[in-house]
Amino acid sequence: MLDVAKQAVEAARAAGADYADGRVVADDTESLTVRNQEMEGIDRSTSEGLGIRVLVNGYWGFAATARQEPEEIDRTARLAVEIAKAAARLPMEPVVLAPIEPVTGTWHSPMQVDPFNIPLEEKVAMLMEATRRMQSVEGLAFAEGGLDLFRRRTFLATSEGTAIEQTTVQSGAGIEATALGDGELQRRSFPNSFRGHIAAAGWEHILKLGLIEEAERTATEAVELLSAEECPSEVTTLVLDSGQVELQIHESIGHPVELDRVLGMEEAYAGSSFVRPEDRGSLRYASPLVSITADASLPGGLGSFGWDDEGVPAQRVPILVDGVFENFISSRETASVLGLTSSGAMRADGWAHYPLIRMTNISIEPREGSLADIIGDTDDGVFMSTNTSWSIDDHRVNFQFGCEIGWRIEKGRLTTMYRNPNYTGITTEFWGSCDAVGGREEWTLWGTPNCGKGQPGQVARVGHGASPSRFRGVQLGVRG
Amino acid sequence: MRTGLLGPDEVRRIADGALNLPRADGVEVLFMHEWGGLTRFASSSIHQSTHREDTGVRVRVVSRGRIGVTATNDFSPEGALRAAESALEMATVVAPDPLFPGLAPPAPTPDPQAFDEPTAETTPSERAEAVAELVARCPEGFTAAGAYETLASEVAVANTEGQFCWAPSSQASVTTVVSGPDGGSGFAEMFAAGRNELDPAAVGKRAADKAVASRSPRDFEPGRYTVILEPAAVSTLVGFLAWIGFGGRPLFEGRSCFSGKQGQQVAAPSVRIYDDALSEGTLGLPFDFEGVPRSRVDLIEGGVFRSGVYDLRTAKQAGTSTTGHALPPPNPEGPFPLNLFMAPGDAEVDQMIASTEHGLLVTRFHYTNVVHPVESTITGMTRDGTFLIKDGTISHPVKNLRFTQSILEALTGTEMIGRETELASEFFFSASRVPALKVGSFNFSGRSDH
Repeated sequence: MLDVAKQAVEAARAAGADYADGRVVADDTESLTVRNQEMEGIDRSTSEGLGIRVLVNGYWGFAATARQEPEEIDRTARLAVEIAKAAARLPMEPVVLAPIEPVTGTWHSPMQVDPFNIPLEEKVAMLMEATRRMQSVEGLAFAEGGLDLFRRRTFLATSEGTAIEQTTVQSGAGIEATALGDGELQRRSFPNSFRGHIAAAGWEHILKLGLIEEAERTATEAVELLSAEECPSEVTTLVLDSGQVELQIHESIGHPVELDRVLGMEEAYAGSSFVRPEDRGSLRYASPLVSITADASLPGGLGSFGWDDEGVPAQRVPILVDGVFENFISSRETASVLGLTSSGAMRADGWAHYPLIRMTNISIEPREGSLADIIGDTDDGVFMSTNTSWSIDDHRVNFQFGCEIGWRIEKGRLTTMYRNPNYTGITTEFWGSCDAVGGREEWTLWGTPNCGKGQPGQVARVGHGASPSRFRGVQLGVRG
Repeated sequence: MRTGLLGPDEVRRIADGALNLPRADGVEVLFMHEWGGLTRFASSSIHQSTHREDTGVRVRVVSRGRIGVTATNDFSPEGALRAAESALEMATVVAPDPLFPGLAPPAPTPDPQAFDEPTAETTPSERAEAVAELVARCPEGFTAAGAYETLASEVAVANTEGQFCWAPSSQASVTTVVSGPDGGSGFAEMFAAGRNELDPAAVGKRAADKAVASRSPRDFEPGRYTVILEPAAVSTLVGFLAWIGFGGRPLFEGRSCFSGKQGQQVAAPSVRIYDDALSEGTLGLPFDFEGVPRSRVDLIEGGVFRSGVYDLRTAKQAGTSTTGHALPPPNPEGPFPLNLFMAPGDAEVDQMIASTEHGLLVTRFHYTNVVHPVESTITGMTRDGTFLIKDGTISHPVKNLRFTQSILEALTGTEMIGRETELASEFFFSASRVPALKVGSFNFSGRSDH
């Protein structure tokens, strides 16, 4: 299929492109959902096609097709060039690409056991047993288990000489218990909400999750939440588990440092950012305990790869260093605007989409101590676990998150359980109040499989490493 | 140069590759073919323009009451057969679905809405020209960002019960945010089945006027206020009701904000919400994704909750009939209303403003999410033009506010409904047509800095 990508580049150059890249992508997925020991959904999908991106006189064009016959490659290449020429209708500063060295090579995400080769019977049996154990808890309405597998093969060729092949396999699973009663719907999930924990790994990752072992506890907590107290409305100390810190990083640090947002390229849809180009090296974004790194070379992350979709090698980029903003995540086009080189963050949602700046694995660097240590060191506050809801404004300033469960912290111990916990804040104030970040022992590289961006809409799977953390003076308990 | 419709005969030929699968008790093929271009602009320049064409063949196989589904974008008879074989393999390893209602029986479907050939054949230059018309309405110092999109599709469902239906459709849209100095920001959008129905210049002017008016927004204390919601904001409320309320599955299972409330007052008597894919005022398919003809469903009438929407499986579960609202299989979430309407009232927005002593005018919401599904509580932010109303006139713009609010409580507090409706669409095949609303009390729980 690399040959098809190379043909696309040649066709685009012949049609008048100054620069061209051709990207053939083949996606395979498998998804299973079991509910109350009944099969709710079992499906596979395959999708393969070609996307051609061109620069003509400094203007972009992109066209994609599911067909790969020579005539269709030529037609699509000509269309991409036509689109680029049409873009010149509204003059702008011509696009300049930050330089890179052309590369050739292959890359495969680490994997011990190919999950696509595991018999369906074994996958179904695991989810059936997990839901059976959840259903053994009296008062539970719904016990659900889900499993998702993704395989992406990417073949990228560019007119600068890059020719690379990559294969990424990602696997994930999770369980969700739902209890209903008296106008309340309460959920508990394990190991995380929204289809569990997905990683760039094989079947070995699924087996380590412990879905069956945690099923009963998960269901028991869902039922207990029905009669739990409402999370109080107050300003207090907040401790978050690593799964919620993951999404907090995603929404209030990962997105604001995307350089395309900062330059206004996403303004009409997902919004822009409060961070400005001149903030590099000076903006106090968080407390000195908070260091954030974008690392596409981390084994196992949903944002890991050998090269991005422009052929830029995977990199480790400091975003916040001791709380101070240092670097954006960028593309070749946006980096050149600031006179920089690309951070290697361009990825497309399959063959049919134009690559965008997407988070790689954006993680908080671990400090010291366990979750138990942080709670033990907290005199009064609330501990929240597992995201249910997220919302943030179009500049990524004001946010509000909901979690599945909370507990009062009193003199270093968890006491009263709270239902419907949520909290709200202002990004830099919130991160500035962080006074504890857990250590390596509880740092988890989570996957966020549903990051939306762009027009037409694209979905990316990205990674976030996170440790439990503590924040002071946070507004909790927002009610309608 | 561009691909057009394949047509029903070619689609049937491809589907037959799967329908002839041996050893299956039933086979259903959902066929989708989409193509179109999107011209995206920012800072009043075109920065990302795309064109894509794809096909999808989604095959559902039934074997002794067991179901498997496989999708592929290989739209040959051989590709469809391979997908069917894969689905059959999956069906052999799962337990029978006790609620499987069977595949859709043969039934005539309404004629599809007009397929607009010029929209399907729109060139990159034509899209760029439309964007230029929009951008030209930006005043000095202001720039526009947004997208102009033209899409075409054909959808078909074929099954071994003998049902076959095919429908082409087209859609055009233009959406923009105009921004300028001192925090000015305005929004406007327009959706239609054909691009000739769009007026990019009018969209640009509307957004530009709002951007000029929203300069230098002032801080504003969160709290409960009377609010006037423009149609784009109302479409968020109605769209979330579709997600958490109207589906037959959450309704039956007690997860919906309408569960157990059939026949009860859930909104002001003036509120009427229905789903009607066949109306001229929306962008709908004449059949659902399992081949059942769509029908109009009155969801809320006189403020009273009447009914939800159903597909074949949830109808069997709930002991009722399908309303033709299935999504593509396997779809564990159940049926969904894709073509919502909120009936218009008799008020102009100016009348709403004139009748408001102290309140807020909201252009639209941003990044909304569910807080409490059973209470229909959601949270989100205002953006692109939020204004304080004092003594019946717009006083000044305010900085963006966070709301945390029950949708049904807001609809219950509806005091006036706009005379004009606007179509808003988040997804292809999905659209809602809604008016502006004046709501007596709306909870703003926080604020931002812009």
